[in-house]
Amino acid sequence: MQREYQRVHQHVKVYEVFARKARPEPLRQIGSVVAPDADLAAAYARATYDEERWVEMKIVPKEAITTLWAPGEEVAE
Amino acid sequence: MSVGELVLSLADNKQLLGLRYAEWATRAPSLEADIAAAAMGLDDIGHSRVLLGCLEPLGEDPRAADRENDAGAYLNLPYLDQPWTTWGHFVAANAVLDTAFTAMIQACVEGNLEVLQSRLRKMLMEERYHFLHGRSWLREGIAPEPLEAAWREAVEWFGPPDGEVARLHQEGKLAAGPAELLGRVEERLEMKAPRFEPDWRAWDPRRRRSRPGAIDARTFGMLRGLEERKFMPSGASRGA
Repeated sequence: MQREYQRVHQHVKVYEVFARKARPEPLRQIGSVVAPDADLAAAYARATYDEERWVEMKIVPKEAITTLWAPGEEVAE
Repeated sequence: MSVGELVLSLADNKQLLGLRYAEWATRAPSLEADIAAAAMGLDDIGHSRVLLGCLEPLGEDPRAADRENDAGAYLNLPYLDQPWTTWGHFVAANAVLDTAFTAMIQACVEGNLEVLQSRLRKMLMEERYHFLHGRSWLREGIAPEPLEAAWREAVEWFGPPDGEVARLHQEGKLAAGPAELLGRVEERLEMKAPRFEPDWRAWDPRRRRSRPGAIDARTFGMLRGLEERKFMPSGASRGA
């Protein structure tokens, strides 16, 4: 049965999820979640991405990330 | 009531809470909430197993043989007897009841029984995310009925001011009594429980509830493994 998801929250943000498996490793982006606040985003990130043994996990609002350049964009001279 | 019966009450309530969470794993308002419902369900069913494993080291197993046939032998709260009909029921249980159970687990971890101190500590870390989930959804607002029912049952589950939980607190086995436990839940959720006086004369000290009733037949069948057998091929026998 097809089910359409409807968000009940009017205002949601994308949170990028970062994690690492061992201290020497750098944090790397492992995915993202959508939530109205950081508390719910933390709960969602933990529920969605906890299948591996991470020693550290962090979330960052996507809007807080400044892009210097990205694929398909011209590098500023 | 002994500490073993209290641990069994926690175990039964967490098992039922986990099953009720899991029932919403495809019905929550968003995909993320579906996944969180499934994850929290797995957590609580796992916590229930850990709690049941504490009974023997505690020196007593209060589980009677009638649990095989009598749904009323389970020590769960009325809130968990039937599947929830609205998302508001999920949120109220997630915010209030789950936090109440966590407050009791914290009281066990900070008490003087070594087996509970060591085995229950990890649950507190996992429960942090249940709390964040429940509190955040609660702030969105839900209907008053399930919220009030959850608070009433949490107050009843903590028990009367001069009851066995209070006695276990005095003995140092629990680090908090009923009033402190309720205060911790209110502080964490940043809200007050509705004021009411439970009818302690009608309260069952073993099941820690006033209202009669029991788990619905389908869920009870699932607990006993009967539901799964319906999906076995005809003619197959266990162990074949």
